[in-house]
Amino acid sequence: MRLSVNLNGLKLKTPLMLASGTWGLGDNIDKFFTKEEVETYIGAFVTKGISVNPREGNPPPRLCETPCGLINSIGLENPGIKEFKAKYLPMLKIYNIPIVVNLHGEKIEEFLELVEALKEEEIEGIELNISCPNVKKGGISFSSDPKAVEDLVKEVRKSWDNFFAVKLSPVGAVFEIAEICQKQDVDAIVVANTYPALGVINLKPLKIIKGGLSGPAIKPLTLRLVYELSQRIDISIIGCGGIISGKDALEYLFCGARAFQIGTANLIDPRNVIKIIEELKTFEI
Amino acid sequence: MHFGKVSIHKRESENIYLLGIETSKEIIKNFQPGQFIKIKINYRLDPLIPRPFTVHAVEENNFYILYQIKGKGTKALSKLKEGEEVEFLAPLGKPFPVLQNYVICAGGIGIAGFGYLLQCANSKNRFKPPDAIFYGARSKSELVRLEFLSEFKIPLEIATDDGSAGYKGFITDLIEEELKKEHKDILACGPLPMLKKIAEIGKKYKVRTYLVMETFLACGIGFCRGCVIPLKKGGYIHLCVDGPTFLAEEIDLETIS
Repeated sequence: MRLSVNLNGLKLKTPLMLASGTWGLGDNIDKFFTKEEVETYIGAFVTKGISVNPREGNPPPRLCETPCGLINSIGLENPGIKEFKAKYLPMLKIYNIPIVVNLHGEKIEEFLELVEALKEEEIEGIELNISCPNVKKGGISFSSDPKAVEDLVKEVRKSWDNFFAVKLSPVGAVFEIAEICQKQDVDAIVVANTYPALGVINLKPLKIIKGGLSGPAIKPLTLRLVYELSQRIDISIIGCGGIISGKDALEYLFCGARAFQIGTANLIDPRNVIKIIEELKTFEI
Repeated sequence: MHFGKVSIHKRESENIYLLGIETSKEIIKNFQPGQFIKIKINYRLDPLIPRPFTVHAVEENNFYILYQIKGKGTKALSKLKEGEEVEFLAPLGKPFPVLQNYVICAGGIGIAGFGYLLQCANSKNRFKPPDAIFYGARSKSELVRLEFLSEFKIPLEIATDDGSAGYKGFITDLIEEELKKEHKDILACGPLPMLKKIAEIGKKYKVRTYLVMETFLACGIGFCRGCVIPLKKGGYIHLCVDGPTFLAEEIDLETIS
């Protein structure tokens, strides 16, 4: 099958994007791939969520494995936009692939500050994180408030000309927010982030983790969202949820996604990227 | 991920197994004591995440892990048969620090990683042999690989909770007796209560104390930021890339449970 995709101007050699937070900030790519492999298999690199100021993230436990899934509550640990630009972005730029920076803010002003800070950089796109289930303030309130999302994407669109995606939560006013993104000329929506979930670490004394569920367990749920959204709106959809094989990816592409992101699969095996694309290539479609 | 084949899979006690994996020398030559590997278990979706194990020993083109059945990952692993293919990611994490005058303290399955340290120290590379090995378990039946450990001709002090072998009581009591006689650095791996006690002892006798920490981890390579260990000065470090061995004085052990 033909692998290249053009998402409203964002040219991808393959439809595979690395989901935010599952490949750090690119500082370890060279341990697992040659430059040629990166440029052959990875359609676009999506960075870990970047905020204005550094964030140390949530206290442990941050992870809990569930049947066919993984709950995480990382809490957007990141070095902040200044250090990201100075230290990490140059490492990513070695590769001739599009870089999409995932942005996290608690207020519209913070998102705009991040966008402003990235304007002088040669990056291909931004992805707004309005759906992180693991921060007390901010992200999640946007995803449950369509009006707040509308104000946010309108302002960001005004100041950012390149590729602009919004990563949606799979819960809340998903359809309404997707329609808002379409109306405000967002280039693509990522469907979707992790599902709010709870894992029990220990029964007595009770120790729990509240976080976002990812992995094969969520694939049928997100696949349905992608399919139904694609029936109702025309905006490009990037499917994201539980893909760990080429066949999973193909299902997303056939159910309305124009590209896909893989996340948990990277944590199982960093070279799953190659396996997924190689498998995808074998389908005669 | 690398490929290997199960060369030996042997029960060492009721719940502890020795698993040998045959692979290429090219891969094994990069292993250092204290580092770990992640094994994908039977290509299943559940358990989803490959499990981490420290390298217990290396022999020609085989490496060994020593593990205890604790949850569904290790239970699934215990079903592997000799000759079966396994996929693993290695080597991960940082090696043990290179110490001069020191003792090893192992509690239960915490003995696993020290086998390879002893092998390396024995082959006169940069790692030095410890002055003594302190090895504790709940009972005699849970003390494993004693014959292998005795090959290195290093004094071995044993303690069991029930007194079925060696000193009756905690291994930390024996370490304290040793430090009263002579101050030595400590390298410890075992259950959290033991590590907390070792940190206390190390502080009391003002010796450098290193603890091998444990936590659930996902990627094992610094991508996901899931395996954090809290620091006394505030903030976190990541077990998979900064550890698993840490200076006790830097870790906020009080907040870990």
